[in-house]
Amino acid sequence: MTRQVLLVEDSPGDVRLTQEAFREARRSVQVHVASDGLEAMAFLRRDGTYTNAPRPDLILLDLNLPKMDGREVLARIKGDDRFKTIPTVILTTSESEADIMQSYQLQANCYLSKPVQLESFERLISSINDFWLTMVKLPHQKQDANEAALKGK
Amino acid sequence: MDRNHPSNWRQLLAFGSAAAVMVAMASVAYRGTVVSTESNRWARHVVQVLGNLQDLVLGLSETESAYHDYIVSGSPSYLESYRASLIKVTTDEAALREATADNPGQATTLTGLATRISEQIGFDETVINLRSATGLDAAATTIRGDTNPRTIVAIEAAVTKMRDEESRLFAMQNEDATRRSHEASAGLIIGTVLEVLIIAAAGWRVHRASSRRHLAEEALRESEMQWRMLVHEVQDYAICMLDLNGQIVTWNEGAERITGYAAAEIIRRNFSCFYGTEDKQKGLPANILRTAIADGRYEGQGTWVRKDGSRFIANVTVTALHDRSGNLQGFSEITRDLSKTEASAAKYRGLLEAAPDAMVVVNEGGAIVLLNVEAERQFGYPRDELLGQQVKNIIPEGFAERLISDGTRSTAEALAQQIGTGIELYGRRKSGGHFPIEIMLSPLESTEGVLITAAIRDISVRKAAEKHLLQMEKRYRGLLEAAPDAMVVVNQAGDVILLNVQAEKQFGYSRDELLGQPVKNIIPEGFAERLIADGLRSAEDASAQQIGMGIELIGRSKTGGNFPIEIMLSPLESTDGILVTSAIRDITTRKRAEAQLLQKVEELNRSNRELEQFAYIASHDLREPLRMVASFMQLLSRRYKGKLDSDADEFIAYAVDGVDRMERLIQDLLSYSRVGAKKGILYETSSELALLQALTNLSNAIHAADAEVTHDPLPSVFGDEVQLTQLFQNLVGNAIKYQNRGTPRVHISVAKSEPGRWTFSIKDNGLGIEPQYFEKIFGMFQRLHRRDEFSGTGIGLAICKRIVERHGGNISVESCPGQGSTFRFALAEGMTTS
Repeated sequence: MTRQVLLVEDSPGDVRLTQEAFREARRSVQVHVASDGLEAMAFLRRDGTYTNAPRPDLILLDLNLPKMDGREVLARIKGDDRFKTIPTVILTTSESEADIMQSYQLQANCYLSKPVQLESFERLISSINDFWLTMVKLPHQKQDANEAALKGK
Repeated sequence: MDRNHPSNWRQLLAFGSAAAVMVAMASVAYRGTVVSTESNRWARHVVQVLGNLQDLVLGLSETESAYHDYIVSGSPSYLESYRASLIKVTTDEAALREATADNPGQATTLTGLATRISEQIGFDETVINLRSATGLDAAATTIRGDTNPRTIVAIEAAVTKMRDEESRLFAMQNEDATRRSHEASAGLIIGTVLEVLIIAAAGWRVHRASSRRHLAEEALRESEMQWRMLVHEVQDYAICMLDLNGQIVTWNEGAERITGYAAAEIIRRNFSCFYGTEDKQKGLPANILRTAIADGRYEGQGTWVRKDGSRFIANVTVTALHDRSGNLQGFSEITRDLSKTEASAAKYRGLLEAAPDAMVVVNEGGAIVLLNVEAERQFGYPRDELLGQQVKNIIPEGFAERLISDGTRSTAEALAQQIGTGIELYGRRKSGGHFPIEIMLSPLESTEGVLITAAIRDISVRKAAEKHLLQMEKRYRGLLEAAPDAMVVVNQAGDVILLNVQAEKQFGYSRDELLGQPVKNIIPEGFAERLIADGLRSAEDASAQQIGMGIELIGRSKTGGNFPIEIMLSPLESTDGILVTSAIRDITTRKRAEAQLLQKVEELNRSNRELEQFAYIASHDLREPLRMVASFMQLLSRRYKGKLDSDADEFIAYAVDGVDRMERLIQDLLSYSRVGAKKGILYETSSELALLQALTNLSNAIHAADAEVTHDPLPSVFGDEVQLTQLFQNLVGNAIKYQNRGTPRVHISVAKSEPGRWTFSIKDNGLGIEPQYFEKIFGMFQRLHRRDEFSGTGIGLAICKRIVERHGGNISVESCPGQGSTFRFALAEGMTTS
């Protein structure tokens, strides 16, 4: 079963590296890319061109983004009942203590720092695949969506 | 009581008219006598008798007139004319007697008339004497008391009788002549009638004038009474009137008091009775009168004798009295008893002697007339040597003259100018020495002219004190001017009373512009008041609180500019009350320097913060592109290794190596900047745990180098655990890295170097460092080895140094090349450490 991953990342190099790394992990993962915060939110709400966008099983969120930065995107996701159950992982180059602290306070599911070395990065993506897309039990997608829809009405 | 007193020109005119009528009658009669010798003779006889009769009447009138004038005025000239008239009356009477001798009837009538006249004269004489002796009152009383019916009417009756008789004889013996000279007779009759009419009119006029004179007499009497009382009541002067011969005519109370004679005893006596025998022999009284007549006035001192024979010094003034026409009438004499003045002077002499100052009385000639004991003592002369001497003997010439001219100015001037203000001069002692004196002058009017009383005070002691004070003042002023600060002395009212040059310079005012001005002109209002209030507190309060403590205020210069000042106050007790001395320092430069320093510190802090921020952000943001380069280089090398040529593989290897080093450099820079950015508080930390964490982090390296790392039990310290881990990690890492090909041995030991501090030592058996690099190796980017020998960023030890310094210590190295190195640093001991 193909897993849906929303990668919120403005750097095309990082997007490609991430896609390559998931490919290395040999798992059927569909990576959707939003290159800024607004796109990410539009994807989740299925606005405009994203009408048929799937509900992601995992969100990989960079912090430093144009238009709407990762922290605000995180706050909106975790503040919205429809989306807050989606595991949201911060994947960024920052090792700043302040960023780490703030992300967890905004209820990020985990905080990961992008390693410089390619092998290390591949290991990290592999670990994400193993953990968040394989081992983790999530609430039933449809039921969850229905409940959210009901609440929304 | 009423009498006819022809006295003014109207009466004279009346009588003149009567006389004119008589002359007319005489001429008529004469014309009659021409007709008949007999009648002529008779007529001549009758005319003579009638003329004589008329003369007598006129004489009597004149006598009465003079008599009354004298009584009223008391002027001797009237008395004279009275006497002259009296002589004329006697002559007229004799002539009449001779003319009427042939007629016994007329002679009898004449005798009666003469008796009346002599009676009248007798009475008048009595009144005149009374008037002369005792004055108008007595005379008036006598006149009022007179009841004898001697009247001019009786006299006139006799005159008429005689005149009628003559007329009858004339008519009887000259009927013919009468007839023939009817015209003449008629003329005579008409003349007689006219004359009677004139006499009657004159009589009526006289009566009227007499009433008026009576009123005038009353007024005169009133005024005279007042004057008499005034003169009479004078106590201190004997005042009397003398007649021409020096006989006393009037006497007042003062005269009685001074001489002891009562008025009754002395009136009519000659004033020479006041003089002693010797003066009388010298003819002094007569000389006095002569002088008074000659000069109009005599004034002099003499010895008078009282009634009881005692004598006194008298000041006598005799003035000659003249009537309107300049005839001498008598003298006034005013006498003062000088002995009484002398007695009171004796009393004041005691006062003079008791005065603390030298008192010298000088006359207008500059001669000393009186002095006291203190004057003798001050000038060193005995009294006798000074009395009568010129005052300039003891006061330098020039000054003495000024002193006298000053002293003799009008009293008002002198009072206005001298009372209370002393003149400072120099006095001259008998020994020739000078000494400073202060003189107070006051003029004193006396019988000897204006005297000058001079109170002279020896002020040498005061002068010396003043000089001393002046010296002190000069020294004080010198000190004041030498002060580096502006000094301003302010009185309680807040006015500037003293200042120095620095104060002028600082505030831009000249001395004159500040002296006497309120201090708030130079120190803003509010502050100035506080300043004065502060300054005026008790000296104890002030010294407790202010000495050594400056108050910072704002000063205001003349140009209106404000500048910061520091003020030190100290109260200063003076004769003018408490003064506030303020030392004012312009602290513009200091303030500016302080502000600049503060600004620099602020700038430095900001720059430091920015730098740290920059280093952190830079190292962080540099990793993003580096990661791209590294990742894609590695991807390239993995996927295309062997598919490209050997050069491509080599180039990719260099690029990957560069990326590795770049990554380490950034990592180290980030660490270094973190040490500074993290102003963490130090906690009690186990240094052993920090070391163990470091060794864990280094486990790969330790394993790879097969190193032996040993350590003593490490104590608890005050520190940052993360930083201490980094510190151990860097130092142990270096110890393993810089090695020959042997087994790296590293030992970490600890010792108490001083109370409260632990010194850690990390000893290795490595390459060692040459001494000239001991300092350098702790600097940034300092490396001792080539890149192909040992990789490294040159930041590791700089981080160590920074961490140790952040912990309040310092790091050092001890080493010998080839024998290993020992790095040492000290940390504060933790509380739980034994």
